[in-house]
Amino acid sequence: MSKQYKRSFRFYSAWNYEREIEDLNRASEQGWQLVHGGCFHNRFVKNPGIRYRYQLDFGKIEDMGRYIETFREQGWEYMNSTFNGWHYLRKLYDPALPEEAYEIFTDRESLHEMNSRWARIALGIGIALALFAVFYAIRFFSRPNLPYGIQLLMFLMESVILLRGSFLMRNPDASRNRRGDSTIVALLLAVIVLGSAASITLSDLRPHFWTEQKAAAIDEPIRDRRWGTFKVKYPDCYYLDLKLEGPSPVTFEVIREDGESVYRASGEHFEEKRIRLVLPRGEYCFSLTCDDAYHVAAELD
Amino acid sequence: MKKSEPMSESYYYILLCLAKGANHGYGIMQMTEKLSGGDVIIGSGTMYGATSNMMKKGWIREIMSEGSGLERRRQYQLTESGREALRAEIQRLRRMLENAEGV
Repeated sequence: MSKQYKRSFRFYSAWNYEREIEDLNRASEQGWQLVHGGCFHNRFVKNPGIRYRYQLDFGKIEDMGRYIETFREQGWEYMNSTFNGWHYLRKLYDPALPEEAYEIFTDRESLHEMNSRWARIALGIGIALALFAVFYAIRFFSRPNLPYGIQLLMFLMESVILLRGSFLMRNPDASRNRRGDSTIVALLLAVIVLGSAASITLSDLRPHFWTEQKAAAIDEPIRDRRWGTFKVKYPDCYYLDLKLEGPSPVTFEVIREDGESVYRASGEHFEEKRIRLVLPRGEYCFSLTCDDAYHVAAELD
Repeated sequence: MKKSEPMSESYYYILLCLAKGANHGYGIMQMTEKLSGGDVIIGSGTMYGATSNMMKKGWIREIMSEGSGLERRRQYQLTESGREALRAEIQRLRRMLENAEGV
């Protein structure tokens, strides 16, 4: 028995919606009738005995009853809507009818209105994402590290995709419906999902450490007292804010598991922020050496 | 009175079709096609958008036709401000036409 149902996982970027309509019409001609239109996949049923023409509409429908009735009056069947506001409509194909009978927007203004509805939302989200990108750019350039870098790149990509989409949707004469455009956008979206997941995972793996140690007086000198073990799971840039105080010099070190000192500072009044440490994978700890009262505050991020 | 913007062809024909009485979407569509000799067609998407917008502007209102069951249908009716908007548009078009004839 031949297959009766099929799913198609083709993704269409919003500004290429006319391409999706063409593909649905072609599928119907070949006997595959759309039963449910989705954002990322479409469901079809095999029925070679019938032929439909399809249309897509976008936007919030205030009065669904009136909407369905208005379309039904001209032979359109409202099928379903996607979660993000696209509506699928179909009409039985009749070769006797002129092509205009299968249009739902018959003047420039209403087509422009529909396109603008999407373009406006995309512009709003695109600008919001661009602001996020700026925010991450500031964070990244003040403290460059891998998760911020990835996040910055993702927000930049997202905002460029949406702003470009908004422009293309608003300008029907622009080169939209270009072959391959939707595929590239789908790939970029996959990259963005993976990149964001990677950035969240990497952020979680980054050690973050804050400690404050003090003693008003000590009985005997401290030599290399270790505390604050932390693990670096992937090589990256880290930043240390350090403050040392004491009546005599206090020495602070960051030591790797093999005993090698990665960073060392010493002084009676030492304060420095954003000390950049490039740390390879491994286990590290802090070390303290002093002869007298001490106060150490260290933050590693 | 503030200067009104030119109406889209669809708005104009919908108002024109309602000038003599209430009608439903399909009736408006057919009447428009007849009036314009097939030049102007109002598709469903255009019809829904135009009627929604004109209801918001207060130019038309929705009413239910007489009858019971399936005979009852949604109809649109011109309001006073809709009639005024149509009159203003006709005046604008007439003036433009007269201007063209004067050249």
